[in-house]
Order: sequence, then C-alpha cells, then structure tokens
Amino acid sequence: MIRRNALILLLAAAVLPLWGNSADLEKYEKALLASPDDLRTGNDYRQAVIKAKEYDRCIAFFEKLTAANPDASNAFLNFGFAYVDKIPDAGSITQVILANTALAHFTKSIEIQPSWIALYTRGNSYLYWPKIFGRAHLGVADLEKAMEMQRKDSVKSYHIRSYISLGDGYWKMDDIEKARAIWQEGAKHFPSDAQLKARLSREGDELKEYIDDVLDPNKRVNTDLHELWEAR
Amino acid sequence: MKIRWILTALALAGAVWAAGAGGKIRFEEISEKAGVKVMHHTRKFSGDHGDVLGMFTSGGAAVAVGDYNNDGHDDMFVTNSDVGKPNYLFRNNGDGTFTDVAEPAGVTGGNDPDSIVADALWFDYDNDGWVDLMLVRFGTPVLFHNEGNGKFKDVTAQTGFNVFGNSIAAIAFDYDNDGRLDVMLGHYFKPVDLIKLPTPHVLPNDLDNAVNGGGVGLWRNLGGGRFEDVTEKAGFKDHTGWTLDIGHSDFDNDGWQDIYLACDYGTDRIYFNNGDGTFSDLTKTSIGFDTKKGMNVDIGDYDNDGLQDVYVTNITDEYMKECNMLWHNNGDRTFTDLSKETGTCPTLWGWAAKFGDFDNDGWQDLFVVNGLRSAGKDNYIPVLVNMITTPGIDFTDVRVWPKIGDMTWSGFQKKKLFRNLGHQGVFKEMSAEAGVDNDLDGRGIGMADFDNDGMLDLYQTNADQKALLYRGLADGAGNWVQLKLVGSGKSNRDAIGAKAAIEAGGLTMIREVNGGNGYAGQSTLRLHWGVGTATKLPPVEIRWPSGKVEKHPVAVNEITYIEEGKGIVPAWHRRKK
Repeated sequence: MIRRNALILLLAAAVLPLWGNSADLEKYEKALLASPDDLRTGNDYRQAVIKAKEYDRCIAFFEKLTAANPDASNAFLNFGFAYVDKIPDAGSITQVILANTALAHFTKSIEIQPSWIALYTRGNSYLYWPKIFGRAHLGVADLEKAMEMQRKDSVKSYHIRSYISLGDGYWKMDDIEKARAIWQEGAKHFPSDAQLKARLSREGDELKEYIDDVLDPNKRVNTDLHELWEAR
Repeated sequence: MKIRWILTALALAGAVWAAGAGGKIRFEEISEKAGVKVMHHTRKFSGDHGDVLGMFTSGGAAVAVGDYNNDGHDDMFVTNSDVGKPNYLFRNNGDGTFTDVAEPAGVTGGNDPDSIVADALWFDYDNDGWVDLMLVRFGTPVLFHNEGNGKFKDVTAQTGFNVFGNSIAAIAFDYDNDGRLDVMLGHYFKPVDLIKLPTPHVLPNDLDNAVNGGGVGLWRNLGGGRFEDVTEKAGFKDHTGWTLDIGHSDFDNDGWQDIYLACDYGTDRIYFNNGDGTFSDLTKTSIGFDTKKGMNVDIGDYDNDGLQDVYVTNITDEYMKECNMLWHNNGDRTFTDLSKETGTCPTLWGWAAKFGDFDNDGWQDLFVVNGLRSAGKDNYIPVLVNMITTPGIDFTDVRVWPKIGDMTWSGFQKKKLFRNLGHQGVFKEMSAEAGVDNDLDGRGIGMADFDNDGMLDLYQTNADQKALLYRGLADGAGNWVQLKLVGSGKSNRDAIGAKAAIEAGGLTMIREVNGGNGYAGQSTLRLHWGVGTATKLPPVEIRWPSGKVEKHPVAVNEITYIEEGKGIVPAWHRRKK
C-alpha cells in the first residue's frame, strides 16, 4: 500500500510541474492537502502561483495547511516562501512586513526540523535586511550551521549557495577577510561559478554595489527549489 | 575652401553647444548677508503622541517667490509653522539684500492655536496686476489681497475659501481657460482637527496604498473675488490619497491644463483635462499604479523634445529602495519612468526638486533637497519597524506609533544636484562640486534670478532649521533669455499656463509658466532659458492660455516683458515712472 502511494506521489510530481495557470492551482492544493509536508509539490505550487500572481491565495492556503498540520516543517518553509514570492509585487513598507512574516515561518520550520534548506533559507533571508537592522549576524549563524551540515555531506551543486551567502553575511558584518575566505573556499569546490568570481574580483564600493544589487528587495528572489532534486 | 572651413567650425561649435558643453555649475551660499537666513519652526503638539503628529506635519517649511511690489525684483514669502511664529515677507532690495516687511504688510500671522501654516502661493486672482498671497494651512486657507501699496488685506471670508482642510500644497492655474486663475489645494490628512484630535485614528490606513487621506480640492474662480468648490464636479472626489504635491501642465499640448498628484503612502495620480470643466483620471494607462511615497512634482522638458516631463521624488534610503520617477512624456498621454536610465533615481528621503538650467547650456538640470529629521545618534527606523511588523497593528492609530524623542530619521542627507548632459540623455550628480551639498533637513525650493544677472538662484527651506540662499555663479555659463509674460483678454494676467518656445543651437526649448509646481516652493513666474553661445535668436513663439499664438523678437541676456496682444512692453516698474 505504501509503495502504491509513493508511486502515485511520484507520478503526481512528474505531472505537476506542467501546471502553470491559476485554474490548475486547485490541483496542487489538493495534492498538498493529501501530503502537506511535500516540499516539492509545495514548491511547484508556488512557482505556478508566481506565474498566476495569486500570492494572497497561496498565503491563505498555506496558513490553513500549517494550522492543520503544525508539525509539517516543509509546509512552514513553503509558507515562508509564499511571503517572499509576494515581495517584489509589494510596496516598500509592505515588503518589510512580508519579509518579517516569512522569517517567522522559516523559524517555525527550523524548530520542527532544522534542515539544511531551512537554515540556508532563513540565514539568507536575514541578509536582505539593511545593515541598520543588525540582522546579518543572525544570518551568519544560520548559514554557519548549514555550512557545517554540508561539509559533512558529499558536495552537491546547491551547496554553492551557502558559500555565496555566508560570505555575503560576513561582508555585511564588515568582516571582509572572512567573507573572502568563504568565497575562496567555495571557489575550490565550484571553480567556474560566476557569482563567486564576481565577488572575488571586486573590492570596496564596486563589491558593495554588486552585493547591494543582488540583495535588492525589488528584485524577485528565485525561490524555486528544483535544484534540490536535480542536484549532482 | 575658407567658407567650407568656417561652416565646419560652426557646425562643430553647434554640436559642442548642443551636447551640453558650458561652464561649471557653481553656487555661493549667501543667506546671511542677504538677510534671509531665518529659522523655521514646526508645530509642537501637546500630549503623549505629540512628537508623532509633529513628524507627520513637519513638511511646512515653504517658500513662495513672487514680485509682489512690481519692482522687477522677485521677492519671497517664507513660512513658519509653530504657534505664534511669524511668516516672513522678504522684499528684494535689488542690491543682493532683502528686508522682512511681513509686519507692515500685514502677513506675519496664520499660525494661530488652531491652524498650522504649511505652504504659500502668489497669484493674481483678480487680474489687477498685483500678485495676491494665499496661505495654505492645516486649518482654513487665508487669502490676502495685494492692495498695491505694500499692504495686504485678508479677504478669505468673501472668497468662500474659509473651509477647513489639512492642506499642504496649492497651485494656481486656469483649468477652464476663462482668464481667471483657479486654485487646487492638496490635502494631506482628512479634514480632522489635528490639534484637538477628536479621534486617534488619523494616520494612513496602509503605508503603501493608503486611501484615507485628504485628496484635493479644486476651487473655480468665479470672478468678483469669489471661488466655488468644484472638486466633485470636475472629477476629483474619488481621489482620497495623501496628497503631498500638485503639478500642472499641458502634457498633451491640447491647450488645456492637466494635473499630476504626488501622493504619500501610495499611488500618484494623473488627470487629463477634458476641456469641459472635467478631468479624467488616466493613471492606469498613463503611468500605472505605484506604491511609493510621492513627495514632489516638478515639470519640465528635460530632453528638449517639446513635451513636458515630470520629476517625482520618493524615498530611496538604506532601508527603503523606491527610486524617484522621471516620467518621460511619450506624447500619447503615456509616460515612461527613466529615472534609473538617466541617473536621477536615488536622492534619499526626497522632498522638493526643481528643473532649471543652472549653467545656461540649453539643458535643464535638477536640484533635489532631502532629509527628514537630523537629531541624536539613535536611529528611529529599527524602532519604527518593530511597530510596523507587529501583526494586526492599526497604523491609523497615532497611539501605536513609537515616540521619536531625540532619534534621527533619514537625517543628515546630502542634497543632490544633477547636471543634464544633454544629448547623452543622462544626468551627472555634482552637488559637492556645485557647492550645494548641505545636509540640512530640506523641504522647499524657491528658484528665481533674484539679482537679475541671468543665473538662477535657489532658496532652500529646512524644517526646524535655518534656510539657505544659493546664488548662481556665472562660471563660464552661457547666454540667457528671461521672459515675464503678461496675459490679457482671455488669459490670466500672470500668464500661468502660457507656453513659449525658443530655438537656439539646433534645439527647440519650451518653457511653461506654472503657478506653484514643486513641493513647498513656488518659483519665479518668469521664464528662463540658457542659450549657450547664441547671441541672436529667432522670435520666441508664445501660446497664451487664451489659445492665441504670437511670435515676438527676443533679446539675449535681458529680461523682456511681453504682453499678450501688445508684444514687448516696458517692465511694470519702468512704466510707472
């Protein structure tokens, strides 16, 4: 029986990414109601939501889903991402509110299950906050934990993200030396990565301009987690 | 061969001129010696939440430029806002100094216990040739009639203007082309008494899309010193935003004045004049809906394509990345924001901005003031964000906003001056080089050629700080033309709405007389052009508000007075002699 359910889920996962319009969102929602902690379906649902610009519907759905499934770590992670997905379409102050709410849901996800993806996500989110809010050290703490996990693992393509973000976190805390050390460590594993090269080739104001541009809240953050499943 | 060489040289010279080559842009700060370095005081509110209301009403440091005594030298009216604090009427002595004559003129008042002066406006409402003065207030406006003898008379009661509103902006324009100047007031808060505060729910209901502001009021000049509220009739009733500034211009060159509204906490609005006493809100198709904090509207043809463009300041600071908007007029009732492309996006917490050709090279530059509150070393933003991110918080309730005390909020910001690089289509920020990079809490800009030397000067008002006067220096600057237009017949006397075009150096440069565009600062009613190295010009073409089009010869490096139907006339003060 379990094997049959797993097969259905696998088939569903193969079909779901084809859905993209708002009419099909309901199908994703049904799938998630059946399997609330399914990170992949939740991810695909959100990508469809972005295409349909149905952000509020997505937030409302995850609100109900997490209320009904308070132990579903991945549901909380997707709930947080649903707020992040809405940020580029929001006004500057609403962006702050959305970002802060996202953090609260990422925290809940970590409390339930401190996974690499949840730690990386929350850590990276803290970096989008301007220096004035003093949240970079919180981001570094999360990213150090994610780094610790990945160092014990075999190298995956998505591990590049932690090297980039942890370095950015140290840069944001004005520890340039440590930032460069992290980016250089990443470059050893990912020598052709353009983002690391861009950081390592810049200094001073040029580096600041580059990272500020990367962390611009008006730009859509790629919250598609497909890399997790396609990782080499 | 020689002729060909000369022609080539001339063509090259023309190309250099047209590319914006010219002198340096430089200013000298002279407020002290000019006698206009006066302090502005914001209103102090009592009670636990007084400093929050103080913040929300701290925009009232304004300047209005106008030649009230018709002596050929632009004067200034400068506002104050705290209870009992006087306003200033600076009479230009014509020798680089000013004298405050507000007391004998009878215009010091306005800051009574129930009202806060927030802006001022000169306009000749009765077409008698003397500009009259309106005080814009959180309260009722006050209209002073210029008696022509240095004194002013409060005529508010007769005009119908004695209606309460929390007004912060005003323009005078002739929306129905009947030859009489009408008035639009921009209201920030709803018409609730902020001093008695009958309810604490007076603040924006949403910080990006607020719809509980005061909107605008349009007053039609009926003649005989009376005005009628036509807000609803004209189609403005549905605008309920937090209006901070108003700009008018004939954006589509159809002979009717259109309106741009800069709104705090949400969507700016653009209204096109239907020519029948009504306007259509074309925001959706013309500029789209924004969520920014619109602070200023100034209007000018920055790229010399014959169409009036719009510059709006917003907030672009460490914690908020809105970007200003430089709306390029596409000529089809749509605009494209080119602030990023032109380099005019980031000016921190922006307030007033003015287009002006500061080096007389034929291309209009931009001066932008900024800065909200420069105080102690602690920053209000993290404190404020704690409140903003509290789930379920009611932003309208003044009681939930944290006290600001001695904290700084977007303070100590350097002003921005953007030099227009002409055909390159971009601006270069050069405030330090120009000598205007002060870090005061700027609010308004009054731009005029106060010393009649052909260079534009800038008066900068600052909240709770002293004002500055920057005298433009002719450091290799180009030649210039200034026109004072006088309407007659079916045009208003101030010629507000008249559009004039000058050709020089291969450019056609338009200017339009405006009645108070720009936040907290009315500039001169004279039109100013830089014409580079040109010494002779073809006749200037003027389209009067009446619709009449006239061509008149124009002299370089002179201030020329042109009256509709008569052509060049002596300046008023010379006529009197």
